[in-house]
Amino acid sequence: MSTQEKKDNISQEKENVEIPKKRKSKRIGIFVCHCGINIAGTVDVEKVAKTLSEHEGIIHAEDYVYMCSDPGQKKITDAIKEHNLDSVVVACCSPSLHESTFRNASKSAGLNPYQCEIANIREQCSWVHKDKDKATKKAIKIAKSIVEKVKRNESLEPISISVTKRALVIGGGISGIQAALDIANAGHEVILVERNPSIGGHMIQLSETFPTLDCSQCIMTPKMVEVSKHPNIKLMTYSEIQEISGYVGNFKAKILKKPRYVDPDKCTMCDECSKVCPVLVPNEFDENMTGRRAIYIPFPQAIPATYTLDINSCPGLMPIACGKCADVCEPNAIDFDMKPEIIEEEVGVIVAATGYDLYGLEKLGEYGAGKYPNVINGLQFERLLSASGPTKGQILRPSDHKVPKEVVFIQCAGSRDPELHNAYCSKICCMYTAKHAMLYKHHVPDGQAYIFYIDIRSGGKNYEEFVQRAIEQDDVLYLRGKVSKIFEENGTVKVWGVDTLTGKDIEIDADLVVLAVAMRPSKGADEIAKKLKIAQDKDGFLAEAHPKLRPVESITSGMFLAGAAQAPKDIPEAVAQASGAASKALAILSSDRLYHDPIVAKVDEETCSGCKICIPLCPYGARIYDEEKKIVVVNEVLCEGCGCCIAGCPSGAAQQRNFTDDQIYSMIDIIL
Amino acid sequence: MNQKIYFGELKATKGEIHIIRDRCKGCGFCVEYCPKDVLALSDEFNIKGYHPPFVENEDNCVYCQLCENICPEFAIFVTKKEEEDVEKG
Repeated sequence: MSTQEKKDNISQEKENVEIPKKRKSKRIGIFVCHCGINIAGTVDVEKVAKTLSEHEGIIHAEDYVYMCSDPGQKKITDAIKEHNLDSVVVACCSPSLHESTFRNASKSAGLNPYQCEIANIREQCSWVHKDKDKATKKAIKIAKSIVEKVKRNESLEPISISVTKRALVIGGGISGIQAALDIANAGHEVILVERNPSIGGHMIQLSETFPTLDCSQCIMTPKMVEVSKHPNIKLMTYSEIQEISGYVGNFKAKILKKPRYVDPDKCTMCDECSKVCPVLVPNEFDENMTGRRAIYIPFPQAIPATYTLDINSCPGLMPIACGKCADVCEPNAIDFDMKPEIIEEEVGVIVAATGYDLYGLEKLGEYGAGKYPNVINGLQFERLLSASGPTKGQILRPSDHKVPKEVVFIQCAGSRDPELHNAYCSKICCMYTAKHAMLYKHHVPDGQAYIFYIDIRSGGKNYEEFVQRAIEQDDVLYLRGKVSKIFEENGTVKVWGVDTLTGKDIEIDADLVVLAVAMRPSKGADEIAKKLKIAQDKDGFLAEAHPKLRPVESITSGMFLAGAAQAPKDIPEAVAQASGAASKALAILSSDRLYHDPIVAKVDEETCSGCKICIPLCPYGARIYDEEKKIVVVNEVLCEGCGCCIAGCPSGAAQQRNFTDDQIYSMIDIIL
Repeated sequence: MNQKIYFGELKATKGEIHIIRDRCKGCGFCVEYCPKDVLALSDEFNIKGYHPPFVENEDNCVYCQLCENICPEFAIFVTKKEEEDVEKG
C-alpha cells in the first residue's frame, strides 16, 4: 500500500467516525413564584419570567403568587404535560424548604425528579436586597444559572439499600428499657446492651418519684422483668460496645461481653458465695454508703438474676488464691476460666441511651463535699430514703447514725455556675429537692428542712403544685440565696449563707447537708460518641440533629438518642424521648428498603491516578482504594455528597453527580 | 483511696500472717503473687542465709491464703482474724 493510499484510508476512517451529536437540547419550563410579597416586593417577577422565556432552551415560562400551593403545583404538572417538558426550574425560596415539593410534583407528571431544580431568589435575593432593579437583575441571573445547570442534569434514581430489621439499644436505664420495649413490641428484634451487671440504671436506685410519690422500684421492676422475658429482646448485660461500623439499615456492632465468672444459668442465688468472700468494697448501688463483696448481686431484683464476680476487687483468679466462693458453690456456677468474648451483631438502627452520672462530690470542695461525711449528694439521700436502702428507709446521718434534726438542701450545686462548674441547669434538682425535703418531713416530722435555691424551676405537669405542697403543708423553709461556706464544728455541719429576700446572713447548725449536684453525661459518653460518630455538645451530652425539629435523631442517619444522654431530663421526659426514638427507629425498620439521595460523588476511572488524597478527606469513610484497579472507588451508600473529595481531587477525576465541573462553570459563565 | 463505708452489716475478713522464717529459702513467690501486696522481702538473713519475707501491709490482707498455698517450704500460713469493722478501699 502506498503512502498516498494509507493517507486516503485514514481520512476515510476519519469520516466514518461518528461525531458525537450535540447534546439533545432540553425542553425546560421555568416557574417564578411571588411568595406573596416576599419575592414580588423586591423582585419584578413578571420581568424575570418574561426575560427567561427568551432564554435558549426555555419552552415555557410563567409566574404565580404561591407556586408551593396546590394550584401552583398544578401549573407545573399541567405545563409538563402540555408542553412535553423534560426539565423544570422553579424560582422561589430555598431548596431546603420546597425542593421535595416541586420534585414530587414533577415526578407525578412523569419527570425524573432530579430534572427539577430550585433557583433561590428569596433567601439569596429578595430578602437581602432593597433596590428592585438590581434585585430583579440578580434574580434573572440566578434563574439563568440554574437553567444552565438543569440543561446538563442527568436523570438519577435513588440508591436503594436493604434494611436489617433489628435494633441495638445502648444503655439499660429507663430510657433504654422503654426504647427496647417499644421496638420489641412492634415485632422487631432488639439487642439491649448494658455495661453494668444489671439493667435498671439510676431509676432503680431512687426511693419515690415526683410529683406522685410512687415508689420507683415498684414502677421500674415490672419493666425490667418484661425486658428479661420478652421474646424479641436479647439482653446483654456486663457488656460494652467495642466498635460500630456500617451505615443506616446495615450497622455492624462488635460487643465486648465481659466475663462474669458466674454462669447465670447455673447460679441459684443461694448467696453462699458472698458469705465466704473475704473482700469488702463500697457498693456502687448504695452510692458507696454500704459495702459489698467481690462476688455480689447489685440489688435483690437485679436482672439477670445472677451473681457477678468483680475481678478488680477479687484477690485473683488463680485457683490457689482464695477461691472460697467456688468451694462453696453447690451448682458449680463459678468458672474462673471465663474469658472476655466479642460478639458481632448486625442491626439496622441504633438507639443511644447512655444516661447520666452525677457531678463528682470531690469537685465541690467549697461545700466540704468529699471531706465531711455528713455532706452527701442527692442520690445518696435517695438511698437513705429507700425502704431497701442502707438504713432500711430510716433517715440516719452517716457519721454517727443519728437521726438528723436540721437538714440543709442546697440546689444548683455545680449547675448554673459557668465560672467554676457547669453553665447549664440540671433541670431535675428543683423538683427532687422539694421531694427530698417533703419525704424527710414525712420521716422526721419534728425535724426542719431548709432549701437554699437560686430560682425554683417547676415547669411540668403538677410540678408547681408539688413545690407549693412542700412549702405549705410540709413547712419546708425555702431560702433564696447561695451558701458561702460549710465547715464542721462540734459534730455539726455549719452552713453560712445569705437570704437575699430579707438581706440577712443565715447560719444553720445542720446535722446533714444534701447537695443537689449537677447531672453530667455518663462516664462512657465520650467513648460511645466516638464509636458511634455522634456529635457531642459543649457539655459532652450527645447532640441532636436539630434542637427543635429533630430532637431524638443524631446527625448520623439511623442513630437515635434517648433520655439523659442528650440533656438532663426527668423520668417522664426520658420515657417520652425513648418512645420518640423508638418510633423513629421503627420507621426505618418497617421499610423493606431505604433510599439514599443519588447526588453523590463518582470517579472517572480513566482519569483517577489512585493518589488517595481523597480518602482522608472523606468524613464518611465512603472512598475506598480498589487494589485491583489501582484507583479509588466510592461507596455510594456511605457518601453524603458533601463534595470534599471533589474539591481535593488534583486530577478532576472526582465529580459530583449533577454538580459536575462542567455544570458549575456553565453556571458561572452565564452569571458573568 | 480509702473510702469509709458508713452503713451495713458486712465486714471485711482479715488475715493474720505467720512466717516461719528459718524454713524460708527466699524464693519470693509469696511476695510476687500476693494480690494485695501485703508482703515484702526483708534485708535480714535467716539461719540458712536467705532473705525471708516480712509483713509490710497487714491491713491489706483479706485471708485469701495464696501465700500459704504457694510456699514450697510450708514457711508461711495465715489465720483468720476476728471480723472487725474495717475501712476498705
